[in-house]
Amino acid sequence: MKQGRRLGHENGVEAYIRQGFGAASRKTAAEPVAGSQYVAGPHPQVKPPAAGQGWKDRLFYRAFTVPALLVATGTAIVPLAFLLYWSHVDQQTGEATFRYYAQALASPFFMRTLLTTIAMAVGVTGVSVALALPMAYVLARHTLLRNILVPVISVPRMLPFVVVGYAMVLLLAPYTGFANKVLMDAGILSEPLFMLFDWPGQALAFGYAGTVVAIAILTGVFMTVDPQLEDAAVTLGAGRLAAFLTVSLPLVLPGIVAASALIFSTIVTGYAIPVMLNSRPPYMVSVLIYNNLYSLQERHLAYAQTIIVTVLAIGVTTAAQRFLSRFGSRR
Amino acid sequence: MTLAGSREGRQILSAPEGGQPRRKLLGRSFPDGVKARRIATGTYLVMMLALLAFPIGLVVIASFQGGMEASIRSGNWSASAYRAVPPQYWESLWFSVMTAFWATVIALTIAIPAAWGLVRGNLRERHLVGTLMLLPDAVPSLTLGIALLALFVPLGLSNSFAGTVIALTAIGLSMGFRYAEALIEGIPEELEQAAVTMGASRVTALLTVILPLLAPGLAIAALFIFVHNLVTFELLLFISGPRATPISVQLFTDIVDRGVLPQAVAMSAVLVYVAIAFYTLIGTTVGARYLAGSTLSRRG
Repeated sequence: MKQGRRLGHENGVEAYIRQGFGAASRKTAAEPVAGSQYVAGPHPQVKPPAAGQGWKDRLFYRAFTVPALLVATGTAIVPLAFLLYWSHVDQQTGEATFRYYAQALASPFFMRTLLTTIAMAVGVTGVSVALALPMAYVLARHTLLRNILVPVISVPRMLPFVVVGYAMVLLLAPYTGFANKVLMDAGILSEPLFMLFDWPGQALAFGYAGTVVAIAILTGVFMTVDPQLEDAAVTLGAGRLAAFLTVSLPLVLPGIVAASALIFSTIVTGYAIPVMLNSRPPYMVSVLIYNNLYSLQERHLAYAQTIIVTVLAIGVTTAAQRFLSRFGSRR
Repeated sequence: MTLAGSREGRQILSAPEGGQPRRKLLGRSFPDGVKARRIATGTYLVMMLALLAFPIGLVVIASFQGGMEASIRSGNWSASAYRAVPPQYWESLWFSVMTAFWATVIALTIAIPAAWGLVRGNLRERHLVGTLMLLPDAVPSLTLGIALLALFVPLGLSNSFAGTVIALTAIGLSMGFRYAEALIEGIPEELEQAAVTMGASRVTALLTVILPLLAPGLAIAALFIFVHNLVTFELLLFISGPRATPISVQLFTDIVDRGVLPQAVAMSAVLVYVAIAFYTLIGTTVGARYLAGSTLSRRG
């Protein structure tokens, strides 16, 4: 939803909810055509703050936001602030210290794990977006296919990663897995393939989940690109592929960046899949944090590492957002 | 609009001098080699669909074949895996449903007035508050889970029903606020003003005019938040315990401690049915076309 707003278009159930009633209202009619251009800054239909309002009026409206503010502060802001605070406090003595950050960043094991995690996330994100692009393009151009296939494909999106992990075990397990049994029966393999419980199995599970997300998002983004633009390029002598690469692809680039950032941060902080499907080093960084938290009783070190990973994940999302706004304003 | 852009223009351009309709059109139909292209596209679609639906299908198949493995040749279909599901699993599922339900109710109850106040009051801090409400959604679930654990242990809230509801509310509130904000923006202020002109107070107008109009969209929003809460994993992993085990955590601990169990595969299949039911419901009530392009992040 956030990404959708940043892109200046909305698709999916967010669009339904926004249109739900107001389709007939004047305000919605004044909205720009979806996908026509990137809308930077506040939403066009948002009026500037009313300066002439009396303070009593403002107080009346503010009173309604108080419970939400309190709950948001209590359930998210305060815990996160404490996490940040405790990561700067020595676990034994209670003194302010930076040593947990220094320890984490100086530890070759942690840094190697972090780099492995980033490499895994970047690789999987790239492959899933590349796999999803043609599918999303086809689905965006065929309404009937889209209405049938998108719900079917999206089912794993509403499943816990744990269930995806079970599916991968049933598919890939060395002796009982479906793929190995079929391949060995067919005589293609003489020994089972030990893909699971190592990084390829994990990459496959993440790639599966990532492709599903990428198809759903990119289909919506492609739907906002006018097919006539490509037709125009074809009339002027470009091939279909060239028209796709030079006309449609640049237009959906913001959507690709948004989807990639979403998939990247999911993988970097994913915990279920790494533990279920990849039990040997190099670990993913979430496994390391969990071990520090529970097995090694290095709680404050774990907090510092969590902060580092969070900064990384949010940094990527913010950088993507920056890129999007710059990309949008240039046009 | 240019000649090539309009529908008539296309027909003019596509009909050459001879009057014979040319097969090569400018629109969505393909130029030469229509069949080859269609077949290639069709094959690609079927392959992708098979690849994407297969692993989930495997869970369902295995759950009806004893639950340990799936095969195409074995004919011994049975529901033994489902019968083996211990009461503990059903309790976990029920726990997930209850916590998800209460978190959804609390989140929406708080989010709707807040969104109304911000939108109708045109408050100066609207942008700031909006960002603040989105924070739990922007921070990775893992981080929020660990942060909640750090705070809940001294408060005695970890490993409890209340703690789980609080954690889910944190996330549900930011989703609910976004939905409610979008919903209220879609309702013309004039309707409310009309009610106020005729003597209703603003709160009465909110309750009798706005809420009924919001109801359909709100139901969909509630369904989305509920199912997201139902499958949440990383947020709840840290604060769960023997007295508070959501179903995703239960399945996870079992595969880590004891390996693949038939009852766990059966329970996974149940979750698959829930997801299918969810999409069927959305597809039939909202329309399937709204499912493409949703950028909701996943919580599982």
